[in-house]
Amino acid sequence: MNCQRVQESFLDYQDGRLPPVDSAAVREHLKTCLECQREWAGLQEITLKMDRLPPVAPSPRLRAQFYAMLETHRREADSRSPFVLMRSRVDRFFSALLPARPAFQLAMAGATLAVGLILGTRFLRPAAPAATPDPATTRELAQLRDEVRKMGDLVNSTLRPQQSANERLRTVLASYDVPQSNPRLVSGLLNTLAFDPSVNVRLSALEALFAHATVPEVRTAVAAALPREPSPLVQVSMVDFLAATRDPSALATLETVSRGENYDQAVRAAARRALAQL
Amino acid sequence: MIADVCSQLHVQPPPPVVESAPTAVDSPSDHELMIAVRAGEVDKLGELFERHHGPLYGFFVHLTMDRTASEDLVQLVFYRILKYRHTYRDEGRFSAWIYHLARKVAADHFRRTNSAPVATDPDDLQAVPDQAPHAAERAIRSDDTARLHAALAALDPGQRELLVLARFQHLRHEEIARLLDISVGAVKVRAHRALRELRDIYFRLAREQPA
Repeated sequence: MNCQRVQESFLDYQDGRLPPVDSAAVREHLKTCLECQREWAGLQEITLKMDRLPPVAPSPRLRAQFYAMLETHRREADSRSPFVLMRSRVDRFFSALLPARPAFQLAMAGATLAVGLILGTRFLRPAAPAATPDPATTRELAQLRDEVRKMGDLVNSTLRPQQSANERLRTVLASYDVPQSNPRLVSGLLNTLAFDPSVNVRLSALEALFAHATVPEVRTAVAAALPREPSPLVQVSMVDFLAATRDPSALATLETVSRGENYDQAVRAAARRALAQL
Repeated sequence: MIADVCSQLHVQPPPPVVESAPTAVDSPSDHELMIAVRAGEVDKLGELFERHHGPLYGFFVHLTMDRTASEDLVQLVFYRILKYRHTYRDEGRFSAWIYHLARKVAADHFRRTNSAPVATDPDDLQAVPDQAPHAAERAIRSDDTARLHAALAALDPGQRELLVLARFQHLRHEEIARLLDISVGAVKVRAHRALRELRDIYFRLAREQPA
């Protein structure tokens, strides 16, 4: 036995835990090795001093505090609600059921995950892809989308103030080619009739609105725009529009115009004619 | 002094080991008592307190070198036993569990106070006014004891804890190994190193401040 091994065995030797053979070897070594003798003596002395340290005892305060804490806990436990009792039982049930050691917890988590994956792959089918529409519907849908886009562009361009009068006129004329009555188109034309600064553009818009005269809102909007219209030429055209539509609800407006002093003579005459027709 | 000890060594072999030597900490019925506490018989905790508060107090005193704080820490350990009693396992060993809780409480204490105990000058220890004189306090007055306390306080906290568990709490190497999550061999090597370190500090202090 060399010095290092002997010194590493000192604690076991001191406690009498070494096998008899090793214990005898340590004893033999100690008889001859001065260095180990010094090491062993120092170790003995310090452990002896540690063992001789007087025992430390706590003050009575500790015992008093402990029993006060126990009493407080007992009182709280006595006044515990059934819900809390049930919860503590559930907690105890799960703490007894689930593994306490981290290694087992990890194994259990892994097993649960594996079972979940197996069940998931076996019983869950991927969602069916959405049914593809037939070609005719697709075509029709594309056509409608295109038409709606065109209408939107038309209305937007109508309302764009930076366009020249010619361009606005062209836009209004282009709406003649649209066969169906479209709310956005009609709204654009009525806006043009009400707010466009050019008389020609307003007249063209009114002319375009003839195609949509069957829509009650169009007739109402034209009757409403008539008193606000600054140009007698457009006003006369509006009166003719209302007369042509034979809308009885326009009678009040036409009567007001026929009697109004601030209207042009030609406009009032046209209103009277329209009243006679209606 | 060393020569005296040396001369004794060869004549007197070490005493035979007593497996359950001063087992201040564990006994067969501790586990049964704790199971009863877990089942709701909290009065049984009083019996466990009577058995273990002394050794636990010693553990904290040697670890923190602070008697008042040690009483609070013992109280805290028993509070946690009460609070976490449902986590005590059927196959668990009570001594291992209580020291596991105690180590956590001590770690929290050191974190809170932000320092481990510092080496104390034995002269300063003597100068501390003795407000509650009893046996332990009187012992601290002696040079030797004060020097040993100072040497213990100067040890690395890990080494001090190992020595306290092995020499003062009389835990077996296997128990310490389980508690610290290291091998039994590592416990022996570390305990030996810690003892040597303690011895060196102690004799250095003795040279610097002769009685």
